[in-house]
Amino acid sequence: MSGKTATAPTTYSPSPTQKKRQPIFKDVDWIRPDGRGFHQCRPAFLRTGAVNAAAGSAYAEFGNTKVIVSVFGPRESKKAMMYSDIGRLNCNVSYTTFATPVRGQGSDHKEFSSMLHKALEGAIILESFPKTTVDVFALVLESGGSDLPVVISCASLALADAGIMMYDLVTSVSVSCLGANLVIDPISEEESYQDGSLLITCMPSRNEVTQLTLTGEWSTPKIHEAVELCLDACSKLGDVMRSCLKEAASASQE
Amino acid sequence: MVGLSIGEKHFIQGGIAQDIRTDGRKRLTYRPISVETGVIPQANGSARVRMGATDVIASVKAELGKPTPLQPDKGKVAIYVDCSPVAAPMFERRGGEELATELSVALQKCLLGGKSGAGAGIDLSSLMVIEGKICWDLYIDCLVISSDGNLLDTLGAAIKAALSNTGVPKVHVAMGPSGDEQPEVDISDEEFLQFDTTGVPVIVTLTKIGRHYIVDATSEEESQMSSAVSISVNRHGHICGLTKRGGSGLDPSVILDMVSVAKHVSEQLINKLDSEIAAAEAYEVES
Amino acid sequence: MGSSGASGDLSGEMEVDAFRRLFPLRFYERHLLESVRPDARPLGRARDTTVALGAVATADGSAMAKIGCTTMLAAIKLEVMTPPLDSSDEGSVAIDFHMPPICSPIVRPGRPAEVAPVVSKQLSDAIISSGMINLKELSLVSGKAAWMAYLDIYCLDADGALFDAALLAAVAAFSHLQIPAVTVNDDGRVVIMSGENEEGKLLKDPVNKEKRKLTLTCIPFSLTCILHKNYILADPTAEEESVMETPVTVVLDSSSRLVSLYKPGGPVLAYMSAVQDCVALTRQRVKELQKILSDAISDMEVD
Repeated sequence: MSGKTATAPTTYSPSPTQKKRQPIFKDVDWIRPDGRGFHQCRPAFLRTGAVNAAAGSAYAEFGNTKVIVSVFGPRESKKAMMYSDIGRLNCNVSYTTFATPVRGQGSDHKEFSSMLHKALEGAIILESFPKTTVDVFALVLESGGSDLPVVISCASLALADAGIMMYDLVTSVSVSCLGANLVIDPISEEESYQDGSLLITCMPSRNEVTQLTLTGEWSTPKIHEAVELCLDACSKLGDVMRSCLKEAASASQE
Repeated sequence: MVGLSIGEKHFIQGGIAQDIRTDGRKRLTYRPISVETGVIPQANGSARVRMGATDVIASVKAELGKPTPLQPDKGKVAIYVDCSPVAAPMFERRGGEELATELSVALQKCLLGGKSGAGAGIDLSSLMVIEGKICWDLYIDCLVISSDGNLLDTLGAAIKAALSNTGVPKVHVAMGPSGDEQPEVDISDEEFLQFDTTGVPVIVTLTKIGRHYIVDATSEEESQMSSAVSISVNRHGHICGLTKRGGSGLDPSVILDMVSVAKHVSEQLINKLDSEIAAAEAYEVES
Repeated sequence: MGSSGASGDLSGEMEVDAFRRLFPLRFYERHLLESVRPDARPLGRARDTTVALGAVATADGSAMAKIGCTTMLAAIKLEVMTPPLDSSDEGSVAIDFHMPPICSPIVRPGRPAEVAPVVSKQLSDAIISSGMINLKELSLVSGKAAWMAYLDIYCLDADGALFDAALLAAVAAFSHLQIPAVTVNDDGRVVIMSGENEEGKLLKDPVNKEKRKLTLTCIPFSLTCILHKNYILADPTAEEESVMETPVTVVLDSSSRLVSLYKPGGPVLAYMSAVQDCVALTRQRVKELQKILSDAISDMEVD
């Protein structure tokens, strides 16, 4: 479409349109755009207590991916809900309009809310708050790739900050398959060229997987390799999250 | 929710532990599968698949559309699932919607592959008519008529059957004078291109009950599950998609074991489905 | 102690937190008698305020503003539009204020907060009418192309005085905004110039040769006060806003001219003297805010 035919109120972003697939990803040896090794995660920055108005909250920054998660409750369930002797979990993930390079693209991720729910429900002791609801709301401030895993890990940190009983922290990591290589914790650019992806959500201390999804074509040895890679990263992330919680707790005691 | 007494629950669980289920099947045996093709004359392709009492219809409609600027050399496929309130009491009012979205997303993940299109069961580039201008948009609509468990596998099988029943009309392109305008096309009424479905994977759902897992669970059995893993496998034994349902966690080694079991089961299922589809097609031509 | 209904009798025996929850108004009035607020502020003092520029990497201009716990994240994204015929050499600004569910327990997904559209309207009124932005600076090719600045302000934590924090974040985002260097390509579209552009593409002259900033004149700042009886509480927290319900918001520009004044109802009918007091408080506050903003800008330039 040429710019002349566009009617007055429509606008477009002046950033150059998507470049062709970079052949570099096909090679066996290439350097990731941010200079990391294939099996190296981005540095993670985590803080609890980002939002004062919430019962618990956490902020996570993995490279350019920045999310805030607030937890409200346990509070009264909506009127329409029937009596339930276990608690309910309600999840929502939304994007800011400026989260993506092109304005307002973040709304394509409708399934994220239900995936966050599935990832967390197995870890929360719902019996500990009967008749009530815990709301977990996430806002992606900036999308820099691997958004859903970051949201999930950040949400479990926020739940811990809110004092919701859990069997274990939930950590999540994804890998992308690019040509012959597996790259962990992919950034947006890598995700847009990926041939397949595997996302694992697990409870590291219990060595249990609460959620996993896989897209693209995989051979069995590749799945084994990817699962191992993810689980290893998940347990490391779990340590980082644990020390973040410990720091917050010792700071509040002083 | 299926209301079961404690005795019934024990019966189901005990049966599965001893490898003989309430309907006499083994843990890794499917219910009888029946396939009927061409059930909706208006659609480009359609099929009705029954597994036991689970009954679904899938229809494929092809329309000419414009490819997205990001993928100018590919057509588009959209998969929608509708859970009819007729199928089960829990689908009444808004109950079916949530399940329908979940199934649609799971089917898309299993059939459409990764972002770059690798591992896609449906070859999107074969839907191309003119690069960047015209492509075929496939609308795959599924309707659940009766639900007795194992919906995802049945829907996957129905889509596979419907796609192999699909004929996309041949398009003759009359190139316009300038490259800028939409070229004129002539859609043939007589010539159809058969859709290639060799790459379409089958979905195998393994439902974990107690310490064992079973295929093709009925809704009674599903009510006892702790978790279920749906794995889509293509003819080459490659995994094309994987999703997990159910709250409780699984040990990673169990998941990897499930993957290898699913690979084994899928071979039989693909052969069974192929012969059923071929028989259905032959029957349709005869009648 | 069940027999006594009057809170005055109970107050000696109850724990402070319980008293605060049960009789919030009395709790506040006791503080007001001593001319101090529960967070130890004098009545006329605003909470600690910080501004950080460039918080969002994906935006052309952004800022995070914090007043006490109230946190606002504002970001501007520039897009190209064809200007309407009646203002062919002007760009445009679209301002939207969002309260996502994370910011407050009263907001839930699908049920947005009632105040969000109100604040949104107030913000665009204040920013447009103050004349802070010269829309002609947003023009690219007269009649053909102009910038549309999408300003989105997200409330990350709501603890009162939402409008003040949102306005501060908005003006800070505009002062951080950098208009990129662009050129017109062969299809008549405006594209960003980058160093990697092939030589052949640069046939036409760049429309906007280098990155530049907007010249902001008369920047508006605001202060919200709560009126209760004869007291004026500057910069209320969410709790204060819920207990005492007569807010007055004054917006002044950097040369102390009145841009707007809102008093949306409430039980207290304000005397002119009270309104004048609010304006006087705002005048002091504007000086503070100007300093905070210019410090943030100079911090940014040092980096």
